[in-house]
Amino acid sequence: MRRRRAIVLPALAAAAALALAACGGSSGGSGGGSSSSAAGYNAAVTKVVSPSTHKGGTIAFGNSSTPDSTDPGNTYYAYMWNFVRYYTMPLMTYKSCPGSCGLQVVPDLATGPGVVSDNGLTWTYHIQPDVKFEDGTTVTSQDVKYAVERTFDRGLFPLGPAYFTFLLKAQKPAYPGPYKDRSKNLMGLNAIQTPNPTTIVFHLAQPFADFNYVVAIPQTSPVPPSKDTGANYQLHPISVGPYKFQSYQLNKQLTLVPNPEWKASTDPNAKQLASKITMTMNMNANDIDNRLLAGDLNVDAAGTGVQAAARAKILSTPSLKASSDDPIAGFTWFAALNTTLKPLNNVHCRIAIEYAASKTGYVDAYGGPVAGGAIATSVLPPNVVGHKSFDLYGAASDPGGNVAAAKQQLKLCGQPNGFSTVITYRSDRPKEVAAAQSMQASLARVGIKTTLHGFPTGTYDGNFAGVPKYEAQHDIGISFYGWAPDWPDGWGYMYYIVDGKAISPAGNTNLSQLNDPKVNDLLNKMASTNNDATRNSYASQIDMQVMKDAAIMPGVWAKSLLYRSPNLTNVYVESYYGMYNYAVLGTK
Amino acid sequence: MITFIIRRLIATVFLLIVVSAITFAIFFLIPRLAGQNSYQLATEYVGRNPSRAAVLQVEAKLGLDHPLWVQYGNFIKGIVVGAHYNSGTSTTYCPPPCFGYSFKSQQPVWPQMVSDLPVTLSLAIGAAVIWLVAGVAIGVISALKRGTLFDRFSMGIALAGVSLPIFFTGLIALELFSYKWPLFPNVQYVSFLTNPFLWARNLVLPWVCLAFLYAALYARLTRAGMLETMNEDYIRTARAKGLPERTVIFKHGLRAALTPIVTIFGMDLGLLLGGAIITEYTFSLHGLGLFTILAIDNQDLPEILGVTMLAAFFIVIANLVVDVLYAVVDPRVRH
Repeated sequence: MRRRRAIVLPALAAAAALALAACGGSSGGSGGGSSSSAAGYNAAVTKVVSPSTHKGGTIAFGNSSTPDSTDPGNTYYAYMWNFVRYYTMPLMTYKSCPGSCGLQVVPDLATGPGVVSDNGLTWTYHIQPDVKFEDGTTVTSQDVKYAVERTFDRGLFPLGPAYFTFLLKAQKPAYPGPYKDRSKNLMGLNAIQTPNPTTIVFHLAQPFADFNYVVAIPQTSPVPPSKDTGANYQLHPISVGPYKFQSYQLNKQLTLVPNPEWKASTDPNAKQLASKITMTMNMNANDIDNRLLAGDLNVDAAGTGVQAAARAKILSTPSLKASSDDPIAGFTWFAALNTTLKPLNNVHCRIAIEYAASKTGYVDAYGGPVAGGAIATSVLPPNVVGHKSFDLYGAASDPGGNVAAAKQQLKLCGQPNGFSTVITYRSDRPKEVAAAQSMQASLARVGIKTTLHGFPTGTYDGNFAGVPKYEAQHDIGISFYGWAPDWPDGWGYMYYIVDGKAISPAGNTNLSQLNDPKVNDLLNKMASTNNDATRNSYASQIDMQVMKDAAIMPGVWAKSLLYRSPNLTNVYVESYYGMYNYAVLGTK
Repeated sequence: MITFIIRRLIATVFLLIVVSAITFAIFFLIPRLAGQNSYQLATEYVGRNPSRAAVLQVEAKLGLDHPLWVQYGNFIKGIVVGAHYNSGTSTTYCPPPCFGYSFKSQQPVWPQMVSDLPVTLSLAIGAAVIWLVAGVAIGVISALKRGTLFDRFSMGIALAGVSLPIFFTGLIALELFSYKWPLFPNVQYVSFLTNPFLWARNLVLPWVCLAFLYAALYARLTRAGMLETMNEDYIRTARAKGLPERTVIFKHGLRAALTPIVTIFGMDLGLLLGGAIITEYTFSLHGLGLFTILAIDNQDLPEILGVTMLAAFFIVIANLVVDVLYAVVDPRVRH
């Protein structure tokens, strides 16, 4: 998933906002609601704060940017996968509960997890027979099939994940989506069968044990073919969830109201408490924070934490701090080490970087242990199922870096005096710029001379760091990056950043260009092992092997300081999203 | 005069074509010259980990696989005669001026800009009235009371106004009057037609902050102009003829001093109508300024082209109006 961060004009406002925060200081108001409801710092990380069944009120979301799309078939932003639960029901979803419980994938529209047959090649789901669209028509398995079919038209829906296009059994000619293939009453995708209105069968190209996670992506939420409006469906998706669209001014204001056809009995992971939900988009990020504190807004939709000014105010004001949470966000910020470029194709040169780099500098660049996160001792973040803690290069015990060990590794690499390479980073992300500068300084201590090259985020993957040919031509040895999983297990996190098959000529996300047979083999095993315990045991093995390869220098397990509006009820952090679970919120 | 206006309007069309060509070249041609191909450009509009097939589909859908001159021709054609767009389930017609479809949202650009226009118009015109009235009034009084406490104080304030950027005064205003003492709470645009009172209440802070910045400049310009004009021979002559002081000041003095004010006012208003970017950003007002920021943030080329051309149009029209006003303000121009 992509975690959207505001990158517009922040520098202009930051200084003034910080100055104001300093002036405002501890007198910062919390006029939006009673502070007596504050359950304490980090209370919503592990328990439900202000549980209530009270109905009514408005939940006001502020968004510093805009959704990539409100169409469930065309969105990849983490907060949108959280938000669309208001109006969608994929076959599976994440259990609504605090703590690690929220990492469980459970049935949503389906009556149970997929039934696997044909040596893992066939997955069968039965859907609930009495779920209705907002217009009162009953959801059928064909509506789910059609929803998946739409995602094959990548020209029309380029932004969402593309798992179905390569996991499902291919047909010839390639299925182009229901807008170009009007055959079989719009049911032309052979890899999905709907033998009856409540059964849907997926035929895979090869076994894939994580398929229950794949169908938890909003793309399996049903779309009635007769109501589909293609690219315009985003303006009014037909709801099956607790709320439906009342109005949507594109990129400005979205208003949801209760869906009268929704039944709590068929959707236990969502609630219908508020009488209205609004999302105001494209707001100034500092303005959002101030309106949250003033009570004019209830939730920052992006869920990536407050800005520096509000952070200072919250952490210095006990009553505000008691209404905040600092959960693990599920993101690892890291530096990918190019395994194909001399001399970094020698593992000892890469290990030298692992030792030499200052992890403290990395964390500080991201805002310190509260706003930035914890020192990452491995790639896999703690909120991924199967994570095990280990620290191969003393990141936690020697956070400033181990110069002696680094020099030793440089000798083994045949570069005792160090070497030169290029560092790339996203120049419009100040934290990443600071992290790159910190690494440059710490590597210089052992003679590794680096040149910094920044590129805009929008072209980073497509034109520069994500183009192996460009990396080779420009001597790029270290590329700063970050990753959050599409689903919270080892395969979901690791595949795209370390599997050799994921290397692509442009838009590449395996920036290390790691093609280690051991890693590839473990990922293959993970993909084909249905037993949960065995499968999840591979996660830490992959993590360990990647660290042994020193293909990635992990920097920060990201955290986000979230402000918990005192007006909200049923507030807790859903571990999978690393933000509040929007689908269950209510107001006092 | 009518011939003059028609001639200027024709020139405006040519100017807009040049602006569109330059903008198009900046975003489409220069990256090509730097080695970027259309496939790489298309990867910016696809989700994470795109397959080659997916990128090729997007490249074709956005028309990036056509030669540049065809892409530019299609863009201009859309503005002149409109364009058709396949939304999957149907083909919709985008009437002229069709600035194309957003690469990101796949929605037509022009209606989005039109829906943002009332916000920017309300903001710019409201602030312009305040700064023009306040700025000119303070400037005139300061000039007439040169060296007095009022003159020094108002010019000091003017200096502060010119020096303080909107993102500072805006945040101060919000902190004091919206968050801490909520005289103007939860600032958001409400249409004048929906509720004139709320429309005005929500725009007071942005108006004042924007006007503070500009009024300062206008006060200083007016003061300088008035000081120069009031020392002219014809002013002395007017006084010698026994004209009332009010007539001397407003009919003879201010009228001449206003010429440079009108020039700069046209430019300022034209620029603001293209989007008061920082003010809209600071107050989270969804006008053309925020539209521009989002377009740039998303590298949404049709939106960037559209808003650039609209901004250029406003500036050109504002200049045209200024030229016409010259003739009204300064009789010498008419001859």
